[in-house]
Formats: sequence, C-alpha cells, structure tokens
Amino acid sequence: MMQHWFWLSATVLVVVWYSSITIYVAVRGAVDIKHMLAALSDNRRKQPTDDQSGGAGK
Amino acid sequence: MSEFTWLDGSIVGLYLLATMIAGIMVRRYVSGVDDFLVAGREMNVYLGIASLAATEFGIVTCMYSSEAGYKYGFAGAFPGIANFLAMLIVGWTGFCIKPLRDSGVITIPELLDQRFGGRVRWATGVVIVLGGLLNMGVFLRVGGEFLVAVTGLDTIRMGDGFVEQHKLELMMTILLVAVVIYTVLGGMLSVLVTDYLQFVVMSAGLLTVTLLILVKIGWTQLVDTVESHYGAAGFNPLLNEALGWDFVVFNVLVNTASVLTWQTAIARVLASKDTDTGRKVYARTSFFFLCRWVIPVLWGISALAMCPVGVSSLQAMPRFLATFLPMGFMGLLVAAMLAADMSTDSSYMLTWGGVIYNDILAPLRRGRAWSERKGLLWNRTIVALIGVFLLFYGLWYPLKGDLWSYLAVTGTIYLASISTLLIACCYWPRANSWGAAAAIVVGAAIPVIFLASEQFPATEQIAKTIGPNTAGIAAYVLTGLAMVVGSLLKPRTMTADKDPQS
Repeated sequence: MMQHWFWLSATVLVVVWYSSITIYVAVRGAVDIKHMLAALSDNRRKQPTDDQSGGAGK
Repeated sequence: MSEFTWLDGSIVGLYLLATMIAGIMVRRYVSGVDDFLVAGREMNVYLGIASLAATEFGIVTCMYSSEAGYKYGFAGAFPGIANFLAMLIVGWTGFCIKPLRDSGVITIPELLDQRFGGRVRWATGVVIVLGGLLNMGVFLRVGGEFLVAVTGLDTIRMGDGFVEQHKLELMMTILLVAVVIYTVLGGMLSVLVTDYLQFVVMSAGLLTVTLLILVKIGWTQLVDTVESHYGAAGFNPLLNEALGWDFVVFNVLVNTASVLTWQTAIARVLASKDTDTGRKVYARTSFFFLCRWVIPVLWGISALAMCPVGVSSLQAMPRFLATFLPMGFMGLLVAAMLAADMSTDSSYMLTWGGVIYNDILAPLRRGRAWSERKGLLWNRTIVALIGVFLLFYGLWYPLKGDLWSYLAVTGTIYLASISTLLIACCYWPRANSWGAAAAIVVGAAIPVIFLASEQFPATEQIAKTIGPNTAGIAAYVLTGLAMVVGSLLKPRTMTADKDPQS
C-alpha cells in the first residue's frame, strides 16, 4: 500500500484541505456577499441616472 | 435499484427553492451592463473562490473525471495535477492575468482589440463562442443522464406515452429552464450568489460521499482494484498505453491555456475588486482543481471495484452510487450535483453571452452608444438564446470517444489561439495583427477538422489513428508558429498596433 504513497497523500490532502476550505469559504463568502450588495447599493445611489453609457462594451 | 426516496426528494426540493429565491432576489441590484456581466467589479476573494470552484465543477466534470478513474485508475487524475500547478503558478506570478485585469476590460477580445485591432477582436470573439458553446453543448445531456441514473428514473415506468419516452429530455429541460430564469434576471450577481450556495451544498455532498467510500470500501480495496485491472499503468500515466507522453503533454498545454484564457475562469479575475484580489482568487482556488479530479476519480475506481462488468465507462459511476448510497445521502448527492451543474451552466451561459454582446456585436455599437436598458435587454436575450441552443445541441450531438477528449479538443478550438494571442499581446512587442489572424485560423482549423473527421465514416479511421492528444498538441505548436511567422512577415512599416501596457 505504501508504494502508492503519492496517491495516498494526494487523497488525504484533498479531503483535509477541501473540508477546511469549505467551512472557511462558507463563512467568509457570506461576508463578501453582504459587502458586495452594500457596495452596489451605494454605487446605485451615487449614480441615479445613466442610460447613455453604451453598456460595458467599448 | 436506486435508494432515492421522499426524504431525498425533499432535500433536493429545498435546495432548488433556496437557489431560485436567492438567484431571483438579487436581480434588483442589476442596474446596468457592468452589473450584469461583471457584478459591478465588486467581487471579493472568498466569494470569488466559491464562485470559481462551483463554476468549474459540474456534473460533466464529475462524469469525465470518474470515467477517467474507471478507465485508467489513479493515472486518470493527471489533468488535475496539471491544472492545479498551472493555476498556482499563474495566480502567484500574475502571468497574463495581471496585465489583463489592469487593462480594465470585460473580455479577452477587448484587450486584443487594443493591440491587434477590431477585426481580431471580432474574430477571437467568434472563436471563443464557437469553442465554448461546442464544449458546453454536451453538458446538459451528460447531466441529465447522471440524474436519471442515480435517481433510478430510467428503471421506473411512467406509462407508455410522451413522458416515458422522453424522461431524459424532460429532465434536461427542467434543469435548464430553472438556470435560465435566474441567470437572465440577475446576470453575474445571481451567478455569484447562487454559486456561493451551490459551492456549500456541492462541497458537503462531494466530501460526504467520498468519506463514505473511504470508510465502506477502504483505501486498500481501491488500490488493489487499480493494481489488478491496470498494474503500474493505473498509477502512472506515462506507463499507461492508452495515455502516454502525448496525453501528458496535451494536458499540460490544455490546462495552462485554460487557466490563462478560459472565459469562465477569467471572468472571476475581471469581476474582482482589483488585480491582487484576482490573483489571490486564482492562487487560493488552485488546489481545488486537484480536488475536482481526485474525488471523482476515486468514485470511478469505486465503481470499477463494485460494479458488474458490462456497464459503460461513463455510466459506471452513477450506477454504482445509485445502489451504494443509503437513504438521505442520495438526496444530498443529487442536491450537490444539481448545485454543481446549475452553477456551471449559469456561469457558462453568462460568460459566452458576454463575449457575444461585448465583442461579436461590438461593430453594431461603434459610433452610437446603446442605453443601459437596451444593453441589458440584449444580454438577457442572448443568454436565453444560448439556453435554447444548448437544449437542441445536447439532444442531437452523438458523442464519440471519451468525454474528456471531446471537451479538451473542442476547448482547443479557442484555447490554442487565444492563449497564444494573449501571451504575445502581453509580452511580445513584435506581435501584430497578421500573426494574430494566422494563429486564429490555424488554432481553430485543426480541432474542427479533427472533430469533423471523427464524424464521417471515410475519415473516422484516420482520426482514430492520429488521436485527440496528437491533434491537440499539433494545434498548440502550429498556432504558436503561425503567430511568429505571421508577425515576422508583416513589414514593420505597416505595424501601427498599440501596446496595451504602454
């Protein structure tokens, strides 16, 4: 079994890293969404009218 | 027989309801095309990680990776190693993505316009959309096949009429309509918020099923299965006759090019608050790209260990899971896979739609600006039309060879040329529009000819002899050569191109 140490360590690393990052991103991602929506609301208040910017494309 | 019960159905229903509500609610924050396509460039690191991971893992990813595990053992996970390393290095160094994000563009063709002119922008837009949509064309069918198999719908009789004959198509349509509704309404904002939810649900499902496999089947049995079926070739792609050095080289090229130019991944860099955030999103998500291969490969190996002989390599994993998972876990798996698929579909539709609007339709906007309302209407219409295309393409295209090869070759239609153009645009002052045009033509022609020759009986054997890996390597090498030769052929006096970094 140990002769396949590369795949064993890859599997262990994948399970440990993925479990940790899921919990961490679940918490911090929610904060990011809150900030993103707040920033978009702010931007919208600062620019009440537009209608001739031509969209994103230049 | 599948273990899918009312409890599993309730878990799936609850997940779908939460996603639809979240996706539709954020539509009120969309006030312009920038909000729709790049979320007003307000995305931060952790939301970016969740979104990138959710987008780049769909049912199709799970299916082709597990197929690779079933057919090649652990060696089949090599593309994941290549992808992880490429992403880490690019995120760390900022190679190409730094000048790209610094330029403030929305798509890669827009950057190429600054250096090679409007015609190259238009042509790269067409190539990106062609490659992207062909690539995405099989997602729905593969997703539908997975869901029908794990829920056991294929074994349940639903009368003799239309529903019984078209279960797969109906499953595909329902899935697509749900995704189109929130993507059309909320654009990138809906995609980011639903991606976040989908990342959590998807990860919970993937990890639970993997742990269950490791506990119930065990590492030793997985290794023994690979050993007995494939020997040392099941652990090392270079020793595997079906893979070999050309598979390794092609996958290094494909994965490096996709990290640099795959529009759905690049969209996260471009939606980031700033260049540093974009680089962090890449570097910190890089290991996920190994996870997204290793986990399904383990599932594929488990199917090899537990499934009866005679099941197709693509169907082995879902059939294995249908009987392996106990009540409740099946609902979690289906919710996780739906999450994975919906996040991928929504993001892909939005991204290719963004290129159609921003680059292919750019000539229509030249000289007269469109109102935000008109821009939004066009974007929403394009996303809906892509949905219609996917439905019909997914229904009639017959898949030849293995799924990963199809995706790698269709992706190469644009990966080869756009990655060459991007690198040259950022780092080679002598590059010009002649070289760009030559690279686009060569980069698209080789994979298209290969795919077409696979479909015709007269050329099928030649395509089989050449194989997708050699065809793919040829596309990258010849595209690079075309860029160099074309650029050098154009007299310096005619080169009035601009350098985006100056």
